[in-house]
Amino acid sequence: MAFTAGVAPPRPGPYPALVLASVLGCQVHGLEGRPVEVQVDVSAGVPGFFLVGLAAGSVREARERVRSAIRNSGLPFPLRRLTVNLAPAELRKEGSALDLAIAVGVSLAALGRPSPAGAAFLGELALDGQVRHVDGVLVAARSLARHGVRELFVAASDAAEAALVGGLRVFPASTLAAVVAHLGGEAPIPPYQGRPVRVEEGAVEPDLAEVKGQEAARRALEVAAAGGHHLLLCGPPGAGKTTLARCLPGILPPMTIEEALELAEVRSVLGELPAGRPLDWTRPFRAPHHSISTAGLVGGGPRLALPGEASRATRGVLFLDELAEFDPAALQALRQPLEEGRVVITRSGGPAAYPAHFQLVAATNLCPCGWTGDDRRPCRCTPAAVQAYRRSLSGPIMDRIDLQVSLPRTPLEVLAAEADGEPSRLVRARVERARRVQLERQGGLNAGLGGADLRRWAPLRPAARSALERWAEARGLTGRGFHRAWRVARTLVDLEGGGPIGEEHVLEALGYRLLELAA
Amino acid sequence: MTGTPPPHPEDLRLPPLRARGRWPLPGPRVAIVGARRPTPYGEAVAERLAMDLVRAGVIVVSGLALGIDAAAHRGALDGGGLTVAVLGTGIDVVYPAANAGLAGRILEAGGALLSQFPDGTPPRRGNFPRRNWTMAAISDLVVVVEAARGSGALITADAALSLNRTVMAVPGSVFSALSVGCHQLLRDGAALVQNARDVLAELQGPRVVQDDPMAPPEREDGDAASTPPAGDDLLRHLSDVYPLDPGVLARRLGLPLPEVVARLTRLELEGAARRGGGGYLRVRSGRQGCGMDRAGAG
Repeated sequence: MAFTAGVAPPRPGPYPALVLASVLGCQVHGLEGRPVEVQVDVSAGVPGFFLVGLAAGSVREARERVRSAIRNSGLPFPLRRLTVNLAPAELRKEGSALDLAIAVGVSLAALGRPSPAGAAFLGELALDGQVRHVDGVLVAARSLARHGVRELFVAASDAAEAALVGGLRVFPASTLAAVVAHLGGEAPIPPYQGRPVRVEEGAVEPDLAEVKGQEAARRALEVAAAGGHHLLLCGPPGAGKTTLARCLPGILPPMTIEEALELAEVRSVLGELPAGRPLDWTRPFRAPHHSISTAGLVGGGPRLALPGEASRATRGVLFLDELAEFDPAALQALRQPLEEGRVVITRSGGPAAYPAHFQLVAATNLCPCGWTGDDRRPCRCTPAAVQAYRRSLSGPIMDRIDLQVSLPRTPLEVLAAEADGEPSRLVRARVERARRVQLERQGGLNAGLGGADLRRWAPLRPAARSALERWAEARGLTGRGFHRAWRVARTLVDLEGGGPIGEEHVLEALGYRLLELAA
Repeated sequence: MTGTPPPHPEDLRLPPLRARGRWPLPGPRVAIVGARRPTPYGEAVAERLAMDLVRAGVIVVSGLALGIDAAAHRGALDGGGLTVAVLGTGIDVVYPAANAGLAGRILEAGGALLSQFPDGTPPRRGNFPRRNWTMAAISDLVVVVEAARGSGALITADAALSLNRTVMAVPGSVFSALSVGCHQLLRDGAALVQNARDVLAELQGPRVVQDDPMAPPEREDGDAASTPPAGDDLLRHLSDVYPLDPGVLARRLGLPLPEVVARLTRLELEGAARRGGGGYLRVRSGRQGCGMDRAGAG
């Protein structure tokens, strides 16, 4: 080998002639993490730093951060030909979460130390070697654990989040130097000691006790909570539609650990988990404005789709006020989550799936100006506009809404005189009992019952069947409308502890349908 | 009730009219006009007033619009009487399309559709005030049932005054924006209408009504609506004019809400109650059915 003048000839050490290090990182895609093997090769040749393996621009920038972080941590940086391969090569890598894995790999290679087995590294590096927070740690940690990883190094602020995954030893890494020292056995990092995860009570705010009057809407809300039914509230401005909707999370049963983790994963991907206290036991309540785009509602983004409001509301409530004002395309996109409880979005980076187990509460006026049927102000809408408005309320969303209830305006003087309503705590006890009845019987909530399930799990007494059929005949009820009333009747009985469905249940269920809107 | 109808000198300014059905019709003519999007109260007044007037031999004139107009035509037809619709479109164009069935019933019952516009004229904004003027011109008397400030019904009332026709108005709630126009008419000297008897008294010139003014006019057949309804006594608490929320009803009667909702649905199935205006209403006799027809058009 010939070297031009001024370039040092190959020396023996401190590096061996050929070094290979291999450490694990993770690439998060949707709510899936795929392990990424960072292979480092230090070989003889013109000094350089090559990063290969379908790395996006944000990952290629890691070279600069890694070089500075290693040098500023007092670690040797190999002045040789340095090739870093991110495997598998067909997987597109995004973001800065691989910084730490690359830097650890390079440092181990430079020091000639063996690569750790069963360990993975997640974190962005600052130029001084500090390890920083990255989004999606929970999702990555869960996937890595499934792939046999036992030790995980993350930024100190992400340790609590990673520790939610059982079977992982989580090491809070403050700096690159600390990680390298730990791996060399010089200064072990104490593993993160998280408290065991326990189910906690969520906050109840606002409480149903604040809702005065509105008996029919309160009842519909309780039935919706008990059976998991989607709900439409219909009434003039100021009738209290929003307050009622906000009460729904507080009468749903406490979240299970799985539900809380599912919600935490969505928030993790969005980078919205508070450091140190990753699990939130209050069910989400999301109320996007009607100007929201399709991408905002169900998720989207340029390369890797991020979760939208439907997923942020998972295991909680998605409230769509002024339903008729929403972009029809956005509402159309809600169809998949309403049917499957999840959203799949396909972008150039491939399809990403997010959970969307929300309960929908929609609210609407009966006409564009909202004053129809109210004698305080005349309605200024033309009949054609009213027709168009009501047509826009029909369609795929309305097909999924089992309960529709109309709210009268409550005059202020009545509000002042009325006693407080029943508090959320008592309503929730009934809801929990009704849910237990359903889960024991059919393993799911009534809202998910199809025609065959109803015939099996929701037998109708003869009088009940005849009432339902008479109604269907008189109103031209569609098959779907028939099933909606049937499902609601099932929940009404389950609120009483279960049993066959009687005529009075069917009649009450039929009362929670609005005839002004498409049946 | 018979009696010579007062002469109504067809105004010289009255444009030539094209007619479908029988025209002219003998008898006094009363125009019933008002809001296109009335309250259930206004609708009920128009319907009952028309029904009572035709039973006394009056011909009910209106404009085939939605709301009060349609209710007036419907009441006249339900009362077995004659009614005339003055269109703002060509005689062969029915507007709004929702009232096509009503137009057919008017012709079948021996009434007429009139128009001053050439055949095929589509609905045009400017034509409706002219139609309102014509309506006043062919009527002996105009009753405004519900009219907000600036309502087209007030144009008809103005025209009637300039043509020396009597203008009457139905009072409403002082909280109701849809009665502001009527109350202004009353303040300006229009006669107050409480029932058909008031209109009949006005039509036949000064005649003292000595009966209880609150009583409805006598009819040959008994008024089924005033007899206590059979079946569920919940019906007694429902009004045929003001929609009642099931929650309010449950509170008032001290009954559990689920029971009230179920019983109301049963009444609905039986055709005795219907939903409207965000609550439940009693169905007046003579109008069976499930209420869906009304909800869409309202």
